[in-house]
Amino acid sequence: MQKVILWLSIISVTVFSCKTKKSNANYKIFRYNETQGIGSLDPAFANTPPNMWAVNQIFNGLVEVDNQLAIRPSLAESWTISRDGRVYTFKLKKGVFFHDNEVFENGKGREVTAYDFVYSFKRIVDPKTESRGSWIFNGKVKTNSLGAIADDAFKAIGDYTLQITLQQPFSPFLKLLTMPYGFVVPKEAVEKYGKDFRTHPVGTGPFYFKIWNEGSTLVLLKNLNYWKTDNVGVKLPYLDGVQISFITDENMAFINFNQKKFDFLSGINESSRDMIIDHDGIIKKEFADKFKVQKLLYMNTEYIGFQLDTSKYIDKNHPILDKRIRQALNYAIDRDELITYLRNGLGIPGTAGIVPYPILFKHKIKGYYYNPQKSTELLKQAGFAKKKLHLTFYTTPPYRQIAEYLQKSWGKLGIEVKIEVNQAATHRSMADKGEIKFFRASWIGDYLDPENYLALFYGNNFAPKGPNKTHYKNSTFDNLYEEAQTQNDQDLRMENYSKMDQLMMEEAPIIVLFYDELIRLAQNNVQGLEPNAMNMLFLESVKLN
Amino acid sequence: MLKFIFKRLFYGFLVIFGVLIVVFFIFHALPGDPVAMMVGQRSDVATREVIEKELGLNKPLPTQLAHYLNDVSIISLHENTDENKTRYRYTSLVNVGNNTLVIKAPYLRRSFQTNKRVDEIIFEHMEGTFWLAIAAMIFATVFGIVFGIFCALKQNTFIDHSLIIVSILGISVPSFVAAILVIWLFAVLLSDYTGLNATGQLWDTDPMTGETYLVLKNLILPAFTLGLRPLSIIVQLTRSSMLEVLTQDYIRTARAKGLKYYAIIVKHALKNALNPVITAVSGWLASLMAGAFFIEWVFNWKGLGLVAIKSVESLDFPVVMGCTLFIAMVFVFVNIVVDILYATIDPRVRLD
Repeated sequence: MQKVILWLSIISVTVFSCKTKKSNANYKIFRYNETQGIGSLDPAFANTPPNMWAVNQIFNGLVEVDNQLAIRPSLAESWTISRDGRVYTFKLKKGVFFHDNEVFENGKGREVTAYDFVYSFKRIVDPKTESRGSWIFNGKVKTNSLGAIADDAFKAIGDYTLQITLQQPFSPFLKLLTMPYGFVVPKEAVEKYGKDFRTHPVGTGPFYFKIWNEGSTLVLLKNLNYWKTDNVGVKLPYLDGVQISFITDENMAFINFNQKKFDFLSGINESSRDMIIDHDGIIKKEFADKFKVQKLLYMNTEYIGFQLDTSKYIDKNHPILDKRIRQALNYAIDRDELITYLRNGLGIPGTAGIVPYPILFKHKIKGYYYNPQKSTELLKQAGFAKKKLHLTFYTTPPYRQIAEYLQKSWGKLGIEVKIEVNQAATHRSMADKGEIKFFRASWIGDYLDPENYLALFYGNNFAPKGPNKTHYKNSTFDNLYEEAQTQNDQDLRMENYSKMDQLMMEEAPIIVLFYDELIRLAQNNVQGLEPNAMNMLFLESVKLN
Repeated sequence: MLKFIFKRLFYGFLVIFGVLIVVFFIFHALPGDPVAMMVGQRSDVATREVIEKELGLNKPLPTQLAHYLNDVSIISLHENTDENKTRYRYTSLVNVGNNTLVIKAPYLRRSFQTNKRVDEIIFEHMEGTFWLAIAAMIFATVFGIVFGIFCALKQNTFIDHSLIIVSILGISVPSFVAAILVIWLFAVLLSDYTGLNATGQLWDTDPMTGETYLVLKNLILPAFTLGLRPLSIIVQLTRSSMLEVLTQDYIRTARAKGLKYYAIIVKHALKNALNPVITAVSGWLASLMAGAFFIEWVFNWKGLGLVAIKSVESLDFPVVMGCTLFIAMVFVFVNIVVDILYATIDPRVRLD
């Protein structure tokens, strides 16, 4: 027996102490975690932030957004828009090469031409690709007599000129092209790998794909031939590589970050939030010394939706269909208090419209403030002075706390609200089908334009086919929306959008809770990681000291 | 023996078929729209329709089930096209009109979320679960038997009582609670001394070369946590069976012959006391392979449980189904093996 134990201990000591290879510390590898996981590295499937972050490192498009949210050239050197706003002509940069890969002749990356863009865009709209992004072109670019996308909608004129023709002018079109769906991919790789292009991405970006051990680690390495340089002419990127881990639990990821196993962490769980910031939203001193903390306002509006479609109700006189009730529910919420106590000061109170005004509008429109008197008055007008109002509010598990806070706020005014919690997938499908009439929701801007938010209230966008979950329909709003799409004067267009936002809020199809802020943490040796309202991760000019 | 195996395999087949039907209908009874989960927050009608058509979600449920069964079945009927050939990787047997009767490996489809082949997903994640289960089992068996014998020999002493109490605790503490405690203690509070990670995989990748290398220390905490419950049970099993054996006449005879104390314990008592323990251990192995869901989730251990939980959340039907079928298969297989093992060890048990 003693011998056995002795042997066991000898074996275990040797096995566990065998030296694991440590990667060379001289290399600058930027490590971060993705709790949600990455589904695909194919830009055609970049529909979640984690996918977009990784895809952004590997590929480039015609144009890109900088940290100040202005559109700047990427692979396009310059562009012109025809007078009628329908024809976009891009002049491409010369001497941009795809990553070296076995799909090319001799394994050397080939030069990018306008034909590659034509191929990439046609691939996005091809139903066979099943791309999640065909909506950026469908219904916008030129169609033929059958209603399908015309052959010459995307046209290469020589190797370095690309022309895109729209059916009707669509002012935010350039902004659409900054999305990953507009990135250029090489035909050779797509044809070789087919559906598995998702694990064999080849692009032009600052990093090339090295290895992806799914669910455990993803490694991208420095593209030595990257076309971009910094302002003193040094070739980008500075980093030697990027390593992404996939720890599913946010608290676990935070523990690992704390132990310096990651250079960067985005998104902090509620339980860890208290460790970092106090209730005034000020970052705690001991934390600020240890790490770089960024508080970042990004394009996410958290709101509560009402189902306005009478056909979805059995009781055609349901209180939710009464505008006064919806307004009363709106006035009953103290958004400042909510942000202070439930969110540690993270977020801007939702006292304007659906569009996150600090980012996209110059002026704030009039939304709903905390005003219990007005609330009571509106309830009285609607006939609920004595009679109690009963409603059921639907939410998802992470928002339970907020829901309970709201329940209390409404309860103070005599509105009895029951909370139902469902898993995200269920919640979403019920809201889309109009089975639930009073539900939490959020909208993360796909691109930097109010149009993207106001599309949620356009009459032709009813869910589940479109994003209009509330089935709000207003002909004035719809006319303004259509008019704004063709407006070339940006100031006028923005004015139109704020008018629409105001018009919609007056009807109160939603309760805007807050415009979201998030915490991004970085180790002290990380430099050049600028926050941006798109919550994108740009690593090409990041340094590790 | 062979007859027994075939009979059990046939029953196993029925079990798997039943699991498939039940999971299929439960999954489709869940409210939720997989297409919405795939496309993200913004999409258009065309995209949705293309995806629905491709996945066959626009067809009635019985048709969907029939198609799925046809895909999973080893012998099946498919339209003879190049597209199908690359998809199913089949070998044609007989052509029937446009269709062809084929033989193939079960086709578990592609994940809705990632578009990766489900058999590849299972294959990739199986390894982690397998080693975790084995490591936990070895840990539980070795320590369980040692502690069990120890308790039996020191019956009714303070050590015996405290070990029994601790083992009851080990049986009753839910695995995810134990996991969190273990992480907090060994990977956070004492991490400087233990050098262990809260999360980590069996294989790590060197970012510059892309080579993978083994990191066995990452296995310690999850295997320890997963092994806690079987360990506690094995301690109790060994203890009681040892106590029973020690009262037998032949032990007294051995003592009377003047055999050495250790020889009596190891050669005579232990050998007979281990029978129930071995069957229990092998029975446990199957449920460890399947039951590590919580442990894998908390330790972020790349295994079948982790991938299955994630897929349920995103309504990724093919992956959930694939994992369930695979786990059902493991269960059936291990149970047959255990029954045979039982008969081999204990001559009193007959297979027929």
